[in-house]
Amino acid sequence: MSNSDKLRSAAEQLGPDGLSDLRSRAAENFGTTGFPTTRMEDWKYTDLSIASDISVAALDDFRVDLPPSYEIPDIEAHWLIISNGSPQVGGLSAIDGVDIALLSEADVDLQFDLPLADLNLALLSDGLKLTVNAGVNVDKPVGLLFFDDADTDSLVSQGRVIIDVQKGASVQVIEFHTTRGDARKYANVFVDLNIEDNARVDYARLQARDLSAVQTARLSVAAGRDATLRHFALDTGGKLVRNDLVIDIAKTGADVEFNGLYLADAGQHVDNHTRVDHRVGPAHSKQEYRGIIKGRAVWNGKAVVHEGADGTDAQQANHNLLMSERAEINAKPELEIYAEDVKCSHGTTVGQLDENAVFYLRTRCLDEEQARRLMTHAFAMGVAHRCPIDACTTWVDSHVEDALNALVAEDAK
Amino acid sequence: MLDIKNLSASVGGAEILHDLSLSVGTGEVHAIMGPNGSGKSTLAQVIAGRDDYEVTGGSVTLDGEDLLDLDPEERAREGVFLGFQYPVEIPGVNNAYLLKAAVNAQRAHRGLDEIDAFEFLKLAKEKMALLGMDQKFLNRGVNEGFSGGEKKRNEILQMAMLEPRLAILDETDSGLDIDALKAVAHGVNALRSPERSIVLVTHYQRLLDYIQPDHVHVLSGGKIVRSGDKTLATELEERGYDWLKEAANG
Amino acid sequence: MATESEELESLVNRRYEHGFVTDIEMDTLPPGLNEDVIRAISARKNEPEFMLEWRLKAYRMWLQMREPEWAHVHYPPIDFDAISYFAAPKSDADRPKSLDEVDPKLLETYDKLGIPLHERARLAGVAVDAVFDSVSVATTFKEKLSEAGVIFCSFSEAVENHPELVRKYLGSVVPQRDNYYAALNSAVFSDGSFVYVPKGVRCPMELSTYFRINSANTGQFERTLIIADEGSYVSYLEGCTAPMRDENQLHAAVVELVALKDAEIKYSTVQNWYPGDEEGKGGIYNFVTKRGDCRGANSKISWTQVETGSAITWKYPSCILRGDNSVGEFYSVAVANNFQQADTGTKMIHIGKNTSSTIVSKGISAGKAQNAYRGLVKVMPQADGARNHTQCDSLLIGKECGAHTFPYMEIKNQGAKVEHEATTSKISADQLFYCRQRGLSEEDAVNMIVNGFCKEVFNELPMEFAVEAQALLNVSLEGAVG
Ligand SMILES: Nc1ncnc2c1ncn2[C@@H]1O[C@H](COP(=O)(O)OP(=O)(O)OP(=O)(O)O)[C@@H](O)[C@H]1O
Ligand SMILES: [Mg+2]
Repeated sequence: MSNSDKLRSAAEQLGPDGLSDLRSRAAENFGTTGFPTTRMEDWKYTDLSIASDISVAALDDFRVDLPPSYEIPDIEAHWLIISNGSPQVGGLSAIDGVDIALLSEADVDLQFDLPLADLNLALLSDGLKLTVNAGVNVDKPVGLLFFDDADTDSLVSQGRVIIDVQKGASVQVIEFHTTRGDARKYANVFVDLNIEDNARVDYARLQARDLSAVQTARLSVAAGRDATLRHFALDTGGKLVRNDLVIDIAKTGADVEFNGLYLADAGQHVDNHTRVDHRVGPAHSKQEYRGIIKGRAVWNGKAVVHEGADGTDAQQANHNLLMSERAEINAKPELEIYAEDVKCSHGTTVGQLDENAVFYLRTRCLDEEQARRLMTHAFAMGVAHRCPIDACTTWVDSHVEDALNALVAEDAK
Repeated sequence: MLDIKNLSASVGGAEILHDLSLSVGTGEVHAIMGPNGSGKSTLAQVIAGRDDYEVTGGSVTLDGEDLLDLDPEERAREGVFLGFQYPVEIPGVNNAYLLKAAVNAQRAHRGLDEIDAFEFLKLAKEKMALLGMDQKFLNRGVNEGFSGGEKKRNEILQMAMLEPRLAILDETDSGLDIDALKAVAHGVNALRSPERSIVLVTHYQRLLDYIQPDHVHVLSGGKIVRSGDKTLATELEERGYDWLKEAANG
Repeated sequence: MATESEELESLVNRRYEHGFVTDIEMDTLPPGLNEDVIRAISARKNEPEFMLEWRLKAYRMWLQMREPEWAHVHYPPIDFDAISYFAAPKSDADRPKSLDEVDPKLLETYDKLGIPLHERARLAGVAVDAVFDSVSVATTFKEKLSEAGVIFCSFSEAVENHPELVRKYLGSVVPQRDNYYAALNSAVFSDGSFVYVPKGVRCPMELSTYFRINSANTGQFERTLIIADEGSYVSYLEGCTAPMRDENQLHAAVVELVALKDAEIKYSTVQNWYPGDEEGKGGIYNFVTKRGDCRGANSKISWTQVETGSAITWKYPSCILRGDNSVGEFYSVAVANNFQQADTGTKMIHIGKNTSSTIVSKGISAGKAQNAYRGLVKVMPQADGARNHTQCDSLLIGKECGAHTFPYMEIKNQGAKVEHEATTSKISADQLFYCRQRGLSEEDAVNMIVNGFCKEVFNELPMEFAVEAQALLNVSLEGAVG
């Protein structure tokens, strides 16, 4: 059986239900396109052949198994669990002001525009649709736990969540990725976030998968009039990770800020792509990503200011610390501007710690290692502290601390 | 206390200090003056152990101990304090955190226990009050976004907390308003004691009105070209440096 | 004045009488490209066998290649079979016979740029070889150079007189297969400049194509090779501020620079080819490959460019920093007005230890133009201590233009320090108001601000070029405001 046949039969096996038609169409599409390749500009530095290998292996004996238990992070939130690609209906607790539905039972319009979205749909057992009702201020963060657990063979899991935040509502969302078990795992996650007029979303994507896991994740945001988004992304895990954050500003007054921290240890590859489309102005976008790298990292930030989007203010920053001889960063901050009255800027740096500051600290009695540790920590925390959800800060602080210690500890060896 | 003998040092391939000698006795206050670019800051940084300054000859000892072999932090723990002409901004590193880490590193070096957090805060607040510094500076990043004068006060605060044996203050007086100048002078005078030595690098007589030096030196072209008592500073204020440069070259 | 032009006219007529036309027709090959055409070009130029082989190899590679599509430019497909690859100089009969026949708009521009009268005829393509001034200047110039041992001649002359140098260095920086247009150029290049500065020699004057005899018609596939031997220095000026009359739409030049140990090459360009009219009709496609190789330790290559012309510019003067401590620089002003499209920038490839590079790019977009900066800073794993600083600023004048930046940073060395800063904004209303409050007209204020915006780059140009470049900028932006 060819790979596309296997995909088609796996897609069939998941039905019949409300998603059957979509699955077979998507399987058809993916059969012709396949995975993106490094010949494509967007994938120039990230090779998905390992994702493809795991998928092919998983399709050989495709089934959806559920783990016996879940590991819920120590963060106060309404947790919704998506495990090995399946939303856990049993675990869906009611949240005041939020309607929760399965995608197979909801009436939704899903996009077919990207190969990975096709793959996602073709193998999607089910997804979630959350609607935060107009004017509601949700009491606690809503946590989406993507938990993949398998011990043997290869696991491929699809996650799909649609979040509609209606007019004037406000909500905090935590997207949490973690794994258990020794299987080779590939997770492919899509989240669509629609922030209606005057609504506000605080969002944290925290990724702490195991060091053999592969992840591709895409968050697409549509921002309404005077909508506000505060987003923070943390990547410490994964062998090969690719995140896309795509923000579309089609109404005036939107205010979006997105920041990220990625730690790539030796053997890890972490790729963050961001894109913000300013279709109208005035609107404001600001991003800062920082990386601490011993392995390989990619950062590509793109701001497109469309014709007529006057009054746009778009700022990008990306800073990287290279911590080992083998470390590598490929950074590309792009601006595409077709309007006149704009203020756009980007700054990217690659380097080591500021030697002046290290010297200064040493004249203040700190030894060199202490000084470097302190500076590295300050560098990481400088962006980690912008995580907009207070409920996460303890977890983020200690997790970053541990990850940094692990990264630095190897030097001592 | 501090003995500099025939010191030559270069930076970026150019020799800046040539065969410079200077002796600072215990309990003394010395002022070093001199034209821009003459090497005053270079001297200060060499004493503190900055590694892009290459010492090509001579020696620097502190109470007989060779300083040049020590790392910057070892010198600092031995009691050498440098107040920077341009204090470095370190965004994200908390000012109080640095102060405490510094104090503890020094205490450990002296075989003392770590300072207790409460004790530390009390001490810091006391010193800040003395310097007329708002306590909110404790919670900001080190020098981050500080005004020129605020940075200088912060240097003096660190000095006051570390109680060094030898303090070298590189133009700590520039950029200060009158009140700040008095506060800084007060801070320095409070530290003045028979066990401590202070080296002031300055361009202005004004500071010396508040902190009376025992000796005044003129550094020009990488050498001490003239030494005298505090009247030399007054003379320089009137006559400038040209006559000394000529004397040195001729 | 009248007598001068009469004189010229009579000269022109006399030439015509002498029957130049038949000569030229024999030299022109029919449009289209195949191996026979390449053999004919090579034979016509009396080239040695190795040159023919080199061209044929390039041609065969070209056949396997595809036209690049990644640049941020749009144009109708080019019919490579419609181009005549060996067109001898335009027959004088087709040229304007005096300045009176030249487009008055062009003359007006010359006026604004302050081009000397005797220059205007040459630039406008008037059929005169009678610019006696520059011929005599050129002669004294040649003497001085040969005293210093500097070789400065046309590429054809170099192939004839210094084949060993050509053979050693040609294609050593831009290999034939480098890219589509470089391959095409390698196969069919007509002529260009050749410079060799011997060991330890500081070239006694700035070299300029302008002084090179035979430069009148290097054609659309120009090839330049500059070699600075150990410890030498040369500054080379290409182009000129005046808009040149040119019939060829496609220009695909290749420039190769080689700097050996301790050598320095400074290469300055002012490019002002015909940009097309206000409606975007016509104009030159300028697809150039320029690259410098800092082959030896402590060598330095510095590119400075002021790009105001051409309908489409596609050009990335680059530096390969191979030698330890070598230095690469790129200073660029790119102006795009009306329907112009510019996609330009640089590549800095750090290979040696302690190499450093500086990039300063100033893009100005006006009218309906699209202006893109595309750059690559690559630090190889062995390039310890590499440094790069990039400053990339864009200025927008008008609502329908575009300004884009596509900088790539590929860093594989822990000790590297790379900084990239970019800004895009419109002319500051505060600055404009301030100038106008002080009595400047809006246009003068804009010119002043734009010139200030470009200052860092102009400072890198040789003196007289810098003054002309400012005037040129003002002319290029005419009508962009208000
Ligand atoms: N990294 C460097 N590379 C080359 N020269 C340097 C470097 N650092 C300092 N210098 C030069 O060394 C000389 C002495 O500098 P220094 O800062 O010690 O002067 P200074 O006496 O403190 O002057 P000021 O009164 O202005 O503070 C100056 O000429 C300076 O330009
Ligand atoms: Mg100084």
